[in-house]
Amino acid sequence: MFFIFILLDRRAKILAAWFRTGHLASLQTWSFRVMTTKESGGAKAESALSSSANPSKRVSEKPNYALKFTLVGHTEAVSSVKFSPNGEWLASSSADKVIIIWGAYDGKHEKTLKGHNLEISDVAWSSDSGRLVSASDDKTLKIWDVRSGKCLKTLTGHSDYVFCCNFNPPSNLIISGSFDESMKIWEVKTGKCLKTLSAHSDPVSAVHFNCSGSLIVSGSYDGVCRIWDAASGQCLKTLVDDDNPPVSFVKFSPNGKYILIATLDNTLKLWDYSRGRCLKTYTGHKNEKYCIFASFSVTGGKWIVSGSEDNLVYIWNLQTKEIVQKLQGHTDVVISAACHPTENIIASAALGNDKTVKLWMSN
Amino acid sequence: MEAEASDPEPPDAGEDSKSENGENAPIYCICRKPDINCFMIGCDNCNEWFHGDCIRITEKMAKAIREWYCRECREKDPKLEIRYRHKKSRERDSTERDGSEPRDEGGGRRRPAPDLDLQRRAGSGTGVGAMLARGSASPHKSSPQPLVATPSQHHQQQQQIKRSARMCGECEACRRTEDCGHCDFCRDMKKFGGPNKIRQKCRLRQCQLRARLSPVMPSESLPRPRRPLPTQQQPQPSQKLGRIREDEGAVASAAVKEPPEATATPEPLSDEDLPLDPDLYQDFCAGAFDDHGLPWMSDTEESPFLDPALRKRAVKVKHVKRREKKSEKKKEERYKRHRQKQKHKDKWKHPERTDAKDPASLPQCLGPGCVRAAQPGSKYCSDDCGMKLAANRIYEILPQRIQQWQQSPCIAEEHGKKLLERIRREQQSARTRLQEMERRFHELEAIILRAKQQAVREDEESNEGDSDDTDLQIFCVSCGHPINPRVALRHMERCYAKYESQTSFGSMYPTRIEGATRLFCDVYNPQSKTYCKRLQVLCPEHSRDPKVPADEVCGCPLVRDVFELTGEFCRLPKRQCNRHYCWEKLRRAEVDLERVRVWYKLDELFEQERNVRTAMTNRAGLLALMLHQTIQHDPLTTDLRSSADR
Repeated sequence: MFFIFILLDRRAKILAAWFRTGHLASLQTWSFRVMTTKESGGAKAESALSSSANPSKRVSEKPNYALKFTLVGHTEAVSSVKFSPNGEWLASSSADKVIIIWGAYDGKHEKTLKGHNLEISDVAWSSDSGRLVSASDDKTLKIWDVRSGKCLKTLTGHSDYVFCCNFNPPSNLIISGSFDESMKIWEVKTGKCLKTLSAHSDPVSAVHFNCSGSLIVSGSYDGVCRIWDAASGQCLKTLVDDDNPPVSFVKFSPNGKYILIATLDNTLKLWDYSRGRCLKTYTGHKNEKYCIFASFSVTGGKWIVSGSEDNLVYIWNLQTKEIVQKLQGHTDVVISAACHPTENIIASAALGNDKTVKLWMSN
Repeated sequence: MEAEASDPEPPDAGEDSKSENGENAPIYCICRKPDINCFMIGCDNCNEWFHGDCIRITEKMAKAIREWYCRECREKDPKLEIRYRHKKSRERDSTERDGSEPRDEGGGRRRPAPDLDLQRRAGSGTGVGAMLARGSASPHKSSPQPLVATPSQHHQQQQQIKRSARMCGECEACRRTEDCGHCDFCRDMKKFGGPNKIRQKCRLRQCQLRARLSPVMPSESLPRPRRPLPTQQQPQPSQKLGRIREDEGAVASAAVKEPPEATATPEPLSDEDLPLDPDLYQDFCAGAFDDHGLPWMSDTEESPFLDPALRKRAVKVKHVKRREKKSEKKKEERYKRHRQKQKHKDKWKHPERTDAKDPASLPQCLGPGCVRAAQPGSKYCSDDCGMKLAANRIYEILPQRIQQWQQSPCIAEEHGKKLLERIRREQQSARTRLQEMERRFHELEAIILRAKQQAVREDEESNEGDSDDTDLQIFCVSCGHPINPRVALRHMERCYAKYESQTSFGSMYPTRIEGATRLFCDVYNPQSKTYCKRLQVLCPEHSRDPKVPADEVCGCPLVRDVFELTGEFCRLPKRQCNRHYCWEKLRRAEVDLERVRVWYKLDELFEQERNVRTAMTNRAGLLALMLHQTIQHDPLTTDLRSSADR
């Protein structure tokens, strides 16, 4: 039987769908060509088709990220990718000492920022998407003006590789963690180091401000995760579990209540900061050597996204902890995965064998 | 710690806080302090570390010890004895206190890092950096994986290995108990089915110190990794060289000097001589690293040549004063390392850097259709070839890149265009405002002109109508003196001008705006090399108020209820009028300030426009297209935005 559905959406555009059904239950056998405008068409078609038990919630149960763009340009391993807060740009830092800025929606190369003398380990955006800070092996951090491409300030003071960096939400401060086992708080305007926190007894692998900018979380290879008061520099809390494998990545959740901790025993944990308890554990990926970035995806369903050493990007359901999708395409360890602030886009970057950044999109 | 030097807190506070957070800083020794910056020796039984100062063991004494147990362990278990390395040193040390011999371990000063395989994000590239930097840092930061030939392993083996003229008994080769069976000497042995013509010990069992030949054949040396592994190579050189020195009966202090020296040479290479080409960088690192990657290989190759010389020299040196020995050893080490480096560079360098005298081994020039050999240190035989290849590349790759770029609309470009439009609109509005300002300026001048033409009328509107409280005193804001309220305005203006004229306010650049009649003062100050940037009408520094003639009228337009002009003007002579002091100056200044602000706005907009235009021109340039590529996997999706394109 052939059905011809004509659907009218609000803007009076006509969608035509051709179907061929076996029986209603096996919706998978349908093949159709739909000309739609993206959001309304998809949803309408689905709901129109759902005459049988096709749950219209399928979209939010599992994402269907598909590879859209591969961004080639780095000549060495890529170390970190971050979307700008306004969603327009993607910054990628690499071991070839440059930062490349790509358009987030079309993946086109925009700018290359040169200036560091050694590999760059991390890059972070300011809240107005106008500035970047980069942390490099040459023991300095650099603040860049994105529009002009110039390096505004160079922050010196660390005595070993600077490994991680972040702006605070008002973007007047920068926090940096380094292999010299300390964290430094810098003032953006003057470039001076305001505070040095002798944080850990091993290299600091990740630092992050919470959404209000009052707290800092830091993780380190010594297995300890610490929460600091940003204003005074006091350590408020130390999170240690039974075992203490090296912490490779920490991050506050967008609402600031939870902390995502990645450790080098192939585990991601979601902790409740105030109660000091581990709420969820995400496993299945491989993470034993590298400090792999993880991220919260809140634009579609609530996912946890992380790279892995088996060349895949893993996506877990935040609540049920099960793996909902694994993105394949990279040919080396996926060191960084970032989520777009408003769209269902994931950017992932891989190490030296691959050297590319891939953009995935879900609907 | 240098990191804390920048901190305003005194170093004591840092240390105190460290020990206060007791759970962080591990404490050692009998003194139970977390200090690890001095020499320490570890007990082989309880694995506790002790400061050399606290138990009175110096580094030198420690050199001669192979196994050491702390006092407690020795008291608890009488079987544990301190073992020394040489007969000679044993004799020397038997007179010293028991348990006073610290161990020498290149990397053993600190607790091991959690996991050796921890790599940094950018993989081996930074692994190199990590290793090189680690080496240059103080020895107690190096990675401490148990090494092949550490003293810690020595004390595990209880049996004594015989020593002879050809066996030192200490080195790794002497400790081997089994023949490898694969080397040429083993294959010659009867037990491995050989003719027994050569009749030598297994290659791997040739003593590294005393054997006549090299223990390992060059062809059998392990292949050097192209990218150095970020594992334990570092402390070995100090170990090996140090122990070789010791076996010569030389001064133990040389070993201590070695770690900083051994690492001093590659460090300048890595940090300063970084070539921009990443390939070259890797090679450099590989080359530099080969100095320390598998150093025992290098040593064993070198030692046969230098060994006899060393030995002889060592023997001679023993009788000379210590200081001379030290310096000689340093020179030897440097020489030795230099030779090693040369050798390694020759072997493992990029093939293009091989000997130019051998044209057959030179690679071919990469120019299109060129069959000549490439110049040493280059990929081409001549500049022309390079240019031709570059041109070919551009012809081949560029068109498809351009096509790729144009396949999908560039969103940044669209944004840029919209931004430009907006900026242009704003510039338009700013210009109209400017014109408005100019109009007001002219108006004001006209008013002032008219006001001046008024006749003076003395009697009317005298100030006697004002409240006559002469006992009420106001204090001047600038100087603080009490003044009569009637003359307050006049006084304060003058007072302010007096103070303000003492300060300068300027910038380096003169004002260059076309169409602006009078804005900034712009008087050049040669001392500070600045142009005064105060409003010209107001500047107290550079313009003095003209003397008011006696018959000049005030002329200020009078207002009713603050805002409504009555059309009347103040008729009092200027000198007497206390209400409208300097009214022209102030009104002119008002208008000027508005104009200045509009000019600032225009300037900002110009700046923004310039930025956008630069970004647009620099986008998709030749280099950008050649170096980067965006591969589209889904031909339908060119724009990842889900909502309608704005």
